[in-house]
Amino acid sequence: MTDITAAPNLKNLPPETLDFTLLKTTTALAPRLGRLSLPGRKTLLTPGFLGNTSRGVVPHISHDNFAKNTNINGVYIPLEDFVEKLPQKTPPVFQIDTVDPLRRFIALPRDTLLVIGARRQPAIPCPAANTNSEVGILTSVGFRSISSDYYAAAARKLQPDIVIGLADIPFGQAAIGVRRKDKMSDRTESWMRDIIAKRNTIDKDERRFHIFAPILPIEGQLQSWYLDHLVDNMVDKISGVAIYDSHLLDELPEELQQLPRMSFDNPASPQALLRQISLGMDIFTVPFVSDATDAGIALDFTFPAPKKANLKNGSLRQSLGIDMWLTEHSGSMTPLTGACTCYTCIKHHRAYIQHLLSAKEMLGWVLIQLHNHAIMDTFFAGVRNSIANDTFEQDVTAFEAFYEPKLPEKTGEGPRVRGYQFQAPEHGKPTKKNPKAYKPLGAPLNAFHGQQPNKKPEIRDNIDDDALIGLIGLENVDPEEQFENLKLEDDK
Amino acid sequence: MAPLSMPSALTYELLGKCSVTKARAATLHLAHGPVPLPIFMPVATQASLKGLTPEQLEEAGCRLCLNNTYHLGLKPGQATLDAVGGAHKFQSWPHNILTVSFQMVSLLKLAKVTEEGVRFLSPHDGSPMLLTPEHSISLQNSIGSDIIMQLDDVIATTSPNLARMKEAMERSVRWLDRCIKAHKHPERQNLFCIIQGGLDLDLRRECTKEMVARDTPGIAIGGLSGGEAKDAYCKVVDTCTGLLPEKKPRYVMGVGYPEDLIVSIALGADMFDCVWPTRTARFGNAITARGVLNLRNAAYSEDFSPVEEGCQCVCCRSQEEGGLGITRGYIYHVTAKETAGAHLLTIHNVHYQLNLMKLAREAIVEDRYPAFVKEFFAKLYDGKSMYPEWAVNALKGVGVDLLSD
Repeated sequence: MTDITAAPNLKNLPPETLDFTLLKTTTALAPRLGRLSLPGRKTLLTPGFLGNTSRGVVPHISHDNFAKNTNINGVYIPLEDFVEKLPQKTPPVFQIDTVDPLRRFIALPRDTLLVIGARRQPAIPCPAANTNSEVGILTSVGFRSISSDYYAAAARKLQPDIVIGLADIPFGQAAIGVRRKDKMSDRTESWMRDIIAKRNTIDKDERRFHIFAPILPIEGQLQSWYLDHLVDNMVDKISGVAIYDSHLLDELPEELQQLPRMSFDNPASPQALLRQISLGMDIFTVPFVSDATDAGIALDFTFPAPKKANLKNGSLRQSLGIDMWLTEHSGSMTPLTGACTCYTCIKHHRAYIQHLLSAKEMLGWVLIQLHNHAIMDTFFAGVRNSIANDTFEQDVTAFEAFYEPKLPEKTGEGPRVRGYQFQAPEHGKPTKKNPKAYKPLGAPLNAFHGQQPNKKPEIRDNIDDDALIGLIGLENVDPEEQFENLKLEDDK
Repeated sequence: MAPLSMPSALTYELLGKCSVTKARAATLHLAHGPVPLPIFMPVATQASLKGLTPEQLEEAGCRLCLNNTYHLGLKPGQATLDAVGGAHKFQSWPHNILTVSFQMVSLLKLAKVTEEGVRFLSPHDGSPMLLTPEHSISLQNSIGSDIIMQLDDVIATTSPNLARMKEAMERSVRWLDRCIKAHKHPERQNLFCIIQGGLDLDLRRECTKEMVARDTPGIAIGGLSGGEAKDAYCKVVDTCTGLLPEKKPRYVMGVGYPEDLIVSIALGADMFDCVWPTRTARFGNAITARGVLNLRNAAYSEDFSPVEEGCQCVCCRSQEEGGLGITRGYIYHVTAKETAGAHLLTIHNVHYQLNLMKLAREAIVEDRYPAFVKEFFAKLYDGKSMYPEWAVNALKGVGVDLLSD
């Protein structure tokens, strides 16, 4: 990538600049069009979205599929997915001795925009309260905390394109006291200074990350101290804002208006997305995409919505997604949604996807996830078009009239849930995280295609999924009893 | 009764034979394109290879994969398969499919074999079901697989009951006749017989003779890979291939460890299948020329080299070489936590197996298979003293002395 002839003048080159151009903007609380670009990375048109990752991947989408079968131009990576060995060991990702180590580690394409933050999206509440210097995080092996210094050093080492400044937010707390809100403002201000100071240690000819300053989910006047400092002392050091409550767009200081706005106010539905867009939000991670995928729901909406005349059953509003678990799809040779040009819709049909879900084959979720991301991609393109044509407001009204307000409830089972994907309050529930796949049938089994390649006697006879697929569901039947009641011709 | 004969929908094109061992290289021409022999066939039990898209499987080099008749018969069911137009269309797989029959069913305590067929309990509602040779073939006709397997009476090779073993062998021959009779599309689907007889070489010889007389387009050796001693396994394969016609493909069912493949090829077998490479991938195990690496071991968490140095699969190749640049450390990071981790290692393991077959084929064509075998074992084990005795003995039987220099 480096031009050899330019090498001697490297020091004179400008640092990588993040350019955010507002292509269209009207008043303060109105939808706007923008373009976020960074040398060497794909341009992100806004409103737009980033791939929301878990452990470095968009769930279910392996890296080759990511490059080939999605149009995702940028990803959001939470640091908490990479630091489980703390504090006993230096996390592996910090030991990679190359440029751009995080990108290398997660094998992200060179031109994909890389944004890091501390917490997953959405963040799972941590039991321990944040302190003046540390925030709680949840790693795959449990709750930990990281300091602001550590976070800044991590950003310095990992060389992402954009870093979301560390924010003191007590996730999961319903009511926050005034004094606590004061602290949030104080700490976040101080942590912003930490990361800016750390970035100043980067040599001029080294690639520098860009900082998005958090805007806390509390009333404007309660974080005014922080916002004043942001505006007075740091505004030329930050490249964007990370907004935890979209209502705060109303109170965003004038000086920060031109910066790109990334939403950490998780939208529950496309309608919620539209609401935030109408307030002038630019960049999103859309956690409901993966949630829908895990529930086996293929998203089915476009923006603008189709003309009302196409509505089935006259008055009823159309569903935002198709529950692919339903057996009614088992003979359907149509794609997930008619006009979609994603890999899934071009190559496969509903019957296959329904089969994959009911057979609990991983490919089912892969195909739905590819489709759901394509639907979001088209949705955002439609939104930008609509803003450009000055029809956004009408289009939103039509969308809300056309579609149901919420995504359909899930009926089938999702893929196996891992602990770190699990909301903490759910831990206390009496139900199991994952239903039992099968019960041992009593006798030791021995199957050609099912034997474990393991010499340990205690597990040698264990059979895992493949051999017994198709036999699950026998839980409520006592096979012995069933078998004895069988009348066989040979017994007569 | 005069044995029934049948047409063939394949061409076996022999490309070369090893001048020392019984290894053969060939191209098998099937309805959905040619496939190279020897071949390893990944197992897509339920019309899907463990999270990989058909495109990814194709890119890993696969041109012939397995589906399971029993599973597809239950889900999506014969009616859907008929409506869709077969398994190729159902899973959007443009290449060849082989459907294995109901092998494991008869091994489970849930099933009982009678002359009529296999009785078992429906996994859906626990109701008794009967599976006959005719039904098995009818299902496979609906699936439309390029290679279909007869219904056979399988019992564990380790069973001490010789009388039951003989009964199963003879019944398998009778069932083959019923399968041949029931087969509706011999002009486009190739029915393979399955030689039974446990570890008893006389039974195997008798079965082979009977089945070869039926003249099916290909021949499988079944009932193995169920926990029997490897020495006994090799003797059965060696005995059967010795009696088989040269111009037909030979499929040893359920075999998949790299050293088993290499030895079995030397014993004259051409086709193999096993779920092990893809299953073990989901447990974080990577197959390499130097053995299986358990990448869930913390030792790999800081190992930033590719899964296997020099491997040409899309995961292992660096981004500079057009690959993904996946490292052992990253696999450690995602295995068992994100499904994509399993997908990546599955791609690698399938590629490893297919590439091993490709290298074996080249070695046979160039008539240097014995040297290839020696090289393979030298890489896999730390020193000759570690070589498994069964492999040394089996290879000695076909003229390769692993222990000599």
